Amino acid sequence: MPAFTRARVILYGFVSLWSLLVLLPLLWMVLASFKSRRELFMDPLGLPGEWSGEAFGRAWGVGMGQFLVNSLLATAASVVVIIAVSGMAAYVLARSDAGWTRAIYLLIVAGFAVPVQAVLVPLYQMISGAGMLNNLAAIVLPYAAYGIPFTTVLFFAFFLDFPRELEEAARLDGCSRIRTFFSVILPLSGPAIASAAIFQAVFIWNEFVLALLMLTSPGNKTLPVGIIQLRGEFTADWPAVMAGLSIAVLPILLIFVLAQKYFVRSLAGLGK
Amino acid sequence: MTAAPARLAAVSARPQVGARGSALILLAPALGLCTIFIFIPAVLAIAGSFFTFGITSRVWEPAGLSNYARAFADPVFWIALRNNLIIVLGSIVLQVGFGTILAAILDRGLPRYATVFRTVIFAPMVVSAVAVALIWQVILDPNVGALNAIIKAVGLTPPTLGWLGDPAISIWVILMIACWQYTGFMMVLILAGLQGIPKELYEAASLDGARGLTAFRHITLPSIRNVLIVAVLITTIGGFKVFDLIYATTQGGPANATQVLGTYIYLQAFNLGNMGYANAISVILLGIAVVLGWVQLRVSRRA
Repeated sequence: MPAFTRARVILYGFVSLWSLLVLLPLLWMVLASFKSRRELFMDPLGLPGEWSGEAFGRAWGVGMGQFLVNSLLATAASVVVIIAVSGMAAYVLARSDAGWTRAIYLLIVAGFAVPVQAVLVPLYQMISGAGMLNNLAAIVLPYAAYGIPFTTVLFFAFFLDFPRELEEAARLDGCSRIRTFFSVILPLSGPAIASAAIFQAVFIWNEFVLALLMLTSPGNKTLPVGIIQLRGEFTADWPAVMAGLSIAVLPILLIFVLAQKYFVRSLAGLGK
Repeated sequence: MTAAPARLAAVSARPQVGARGSALILLAPALGLCTIFIFIPAVLAIAGSFFTFGITSRVWEPAGLSNYARAFADPVFWIALRNNLIIVLGSIVLQVGFGTILAAILDRGLPRYATVFRTVIFAPMVVSAVAVALIWQVILDPNVGALNAIIKAVGLTPPTLGWLGDPAISIWVILMIACWQYTGFMMVLILAGLQGIPKELYEAASLDGARGLTAFRHITLPSIRNVLIVAVLITTIGGFKVFDLIYATTQGGPANATQVLGTYIYLQAFNLGNMGYANAISVILLGIAVVLGWVQLRVSRRA
């Protein structure tokens, strides 16, 4: 153990202070959800005098359970579509030098530049015109589309380094390209799949603007839109809002802490 | 390995699709989804910016360039653009700046607990921006909020209109919330770059007497130049796309003081029904995003 120099105290102090700034608001959220409305108003900083779970009951009554299920369904469906569809495309693109596949690669990459905020009007009109408002597919399909460019680039790089002997063996055995992809390539792409899935899941789980536009009936809302509804239903019942936020935030934080290595590796990949 | 060839041989008995045919089948879903949900809407947004129409109207009235003229004459459009620039520049200075400092400390300054600190500081990144916005909205609330309670406890006076209610400061308060959420992300991004620097470089420099801040300036910063450029680009693009945080805290108010392009597009389109005008602002945002995306592609290819 090296000596505790003054420089080291400053460095530890700085990261500790920053960590405290991150933790205190989250801690306050949890504490506030156990207080009564009166207590929160009279003494915003203190510990709850009497730990009461009533606010959680009020928040749950608004439909947090349904929001949670909807978020899970939308995220799972979108991520599965993104992985399958991007994987297939990236595999073809990584195994072909033809000019037309290069052009398709560039086209798909170009999709990365289009922010969803810039196409809200046509997207809304297309989806409402198709009668798909308030349908989970109205967000799953656009989420899938907006996840494809980045995931295709990620898989493209992975497949370039993928050993070709296995594919050739499969082809010699008469395997079609499509079959080769699903029974040889995909099962061996675990690391790339995990990385892409975590990255997309974080963004889709938290996506707000499309869900806000497309899902307006309470039974269909995902968590980010649901907690806005929660705030609307409880004017000045901040303990209930904080309880609802705790229900929405703590599970994802727990998953993150348990799997932080994979989250960090996946999201840091954006810098590559 | 004996069973597999037999199984595969059975498959090959079926009629085979040609090489180009199978390539098209594998490409079709990705191309189809991107075309329907990205490219066609982008083209429609550009086309729609030259017309006037409402949310439910089937008729598009030709409007020429008037939607763009309206944007350039609209003070709120300029407020929104200025606020986007405040978020972008403020985030570059604060998020990339503190992200670099935190990453450098975690990389070489702490013999223990670096992973614990990394986990804590990165954590807000996985929380939805809406949840972050609501937590802070309550913390900053003039009546029940923790911040004012602390400020009053130490004998200072909080702003009378509230942190998010005072148009003079609200956009800066929102910038602070964004930094609370995303500095850890920048830190992790930059940390990944730092961990690629060979330790021998530092050892050699240390023999030459370069340690601490000198080593940071002459070894660390030049080695992560490309990572820093990517971090700045991601922050810039994110700053132009900001929506959730502002919609959930102020909805662009008070009196449009925190309007950004994203929230203004939403307001014009879905609250005021000016779809053509909203499209014109969208196209301006799209133009900014495409230029930045192109730069990012060029940089990450070089990296």
